[in-house]
Amino acid sequence: MDETVSEFFRRTILKIPMTEMMTILKTWNFLSENQLQTVNFRQRKESLVQDLVLLCEENRASLKDAALLDIIYTQFHRHQKVWDVFQMSKGPGEDIDLFDMEQFKSSFKKILKRALKNVTVSFRDAEENAVWIRIAWGTQYRKPNQYKPAYVVYYSQTPYAFTSSSQLKSNLPLLGQALTIASKHHQIVKMDLRSRYLDSLKAIVFKQYNQTFETHNSTTPLQERSLGLDINMDSRIIHENKIEKERVQRVTQEIFGDYPQPRLEFAQYKLETKFKSDLNGGILAEREEPLRCLVKFSSPHLLEALKSLAPAGIADAPLSPLLTCIPNKGMNYFKIRDK
Amino acid sequence: MELANTLSQDGESRRGVLAHLERLETQVSRCRKKLEEPQSAQAVESALGTRIHELRRLRDKLRAEVKQHQARVKASTTNVEPDQTLEITEQEFLKRKRENVKAILQAYRFTGISGKLTSRGVCVCIGTAFEGNLLDSYFVDLVMQKPPQIHHHSIPVFIPLEEISAKYLQTNIQHFLFTLCEYLNAYSGRKYQADRLQSDFAAFLAGPLQRNSLCNLLSFTYKAEPEGQSFPFCARLLYKDLTTTLPTDVTVTYQGTDALSTTREEQRAAHENLFFTKPLHQVFTSFASKGDKLDMSLVS
Repeated sequence: MDETVSEFFRRTILKIPMTEMMTILKTWNFLSENQLQTVNFRQRKESLVQDLVLLCEENRASLKDAALLDIIYTQFHRHQKVWDVFQMSKGPGEDIDLFDMEQFKSSFKKILKRALKNVTVSFRDAEENAVWIRIAWGTQYRKPNQYKPAYVVYYSQTPYAFTSSSQLKSNLPLLGQALTIASKHHQIVKMDLRSRYLDSLKAIVFKQYNQTFETHNSTTPLQERSLGLDINMDSRIIHENKIEKERVQRVTQEIFGDYPQPRLEFAQYKLETKFKSDLNGGILAEREEPLRCLVKFSSPHLLEALKSLAPAGIADAPLSPLLTCIPNKGMNYFKIRDK
Repeated sequence: MELANTLSQDGESRRGVLAHLERLETQVSRCRKKLEEPQSAQAVESALGTRIHELRRLRDKLRAEVKQHQARVKASTTNVEPDQTLEITEQEFLKRKRENVKAILQAYRFTGISGKLTSRGVCVCIGTAFEGNLLDSYFVDLVMQKPPQIHHHSIPVFIPLEEISAKYLQTNIQHFLFTLCEYLNAYSGRKYQADRLQSDFAAFLAGPLQRNSLCNLLSFTYKAEPEGQSFPFCARLLYKDLTTTLPTDVTVTYQGTDALSTTREEQRAAHENLFFTKPLHQVFTSFASKGDKLDMSLVS
């Protein structure tokens, strides 16, 4: 086995936390049960990794197998990457999409290899209808850099592709082209949507986040939903602004629904607007040019945080539509200009 | 007396006869009044007396009426017991009727399309089925405004919902729902066939089943007899019509390099025809049963 491949194996296996080692190796399914049994998983990690790399050498593991292991690791640790969303479109009146996964994979690989001789492309099918693509970029004169790959997750017969932000931004147009042509679309556009949480991005663009529907079969009556704070907790406590509290709860529930919000870490607003002030006069009010500023909201779970603002009394209900439109519009990057 | 005082400024002669006469006059009028007063007082007294009598009479009359009414009420309450039991059974009857209606509403989902009115419109439930098997249900929550709109839904993203709603939602909601129902039922049916093939007939497959989101392109390598006596065929099924559960294009090819014998060619053509006409899992069921028939012939 090549030294670079061996080193790649060592570094990839070293990344895997000890608690997940067995699971990931079993998912990879490259080393047999018997081989795994010969390894002592209780030794120090360095020595364990050495033993595993030796086993890989015995099995004549190639770069392809290492790339597959890397994909599996990334699938388990998808939150470590920041994902962008691309939207593709077809021309009007297109034929029915008879998507052939094998055709897609070979077409995708061919397009990249034709443009860049030095590129490693690997695939792993996921779920019923998705594929994870790993691309290690090289240049005309340099071998692909296996330590800075780009990932693409694509669900067949959908117009959306999720890509991990590639450090090498120059290869982005080529990646877009390969995706578009291989999936038989015409155009590709980057959406203003970005997050670490791939599943939340999927929920937003596939419109899967609001899945509560009223039916005659539902057992929980709608009126019994607890409205956050339990107003009737203690009869000795009188809530003076009960009506207002209930109004806020109602408005919040109408806007945000009862479902768990998709997870985003931030929303960014680039403002280019003229200064507006209640007070007449002032230096800024007379300024003709628009002000440029950037407002960024960050949170471990932005949408849940926004949902709790009005009930906590920190903001008025209803919240600004600029904040509440995020999942509907599928955007968390905004550019706001005066009309 | 006042007259006497006002006149006192004029002269003391006034104090004399005139004053005395005036005094006598006032005395007389006072006495006359006193004589009259008892008379008017008496009149007032008698008037008040008659009034008191009248009021007493009225009071007694009202008391009697109240007593009568109370007696009547008491009498009627003693008769209410049989009425009350009637009310209870009426309550039960209504309760049972309500539960019955609720159950019918719940059972409506078995018809394929059912709905529930919401505050903004209606939430439609499209239930899918294939060959008598109940499959997934999908929901469309509609806002019934002047142009009807979809509020939210659970339709998979690869079903062409935008196309269908652009064509029919504004003009003919019924057509919109029926078209959507067609697409979803066909998708569910194709998915069911692919799932059955993968799970129940894995022994017949020589490699993984290739499929896509819509299950409208299936590609697999299979053997008609799982015991490995025959060579594998490659099948490629295309469903160009998204509203059907049977393929529109079938290609069965032979994997090996040698030319096909006539029997094998006949088999290949027969298989192609089978895939065209029967659902996928039924084709493999017939392969399996043919295998059983062969065993039976060996035994006998």
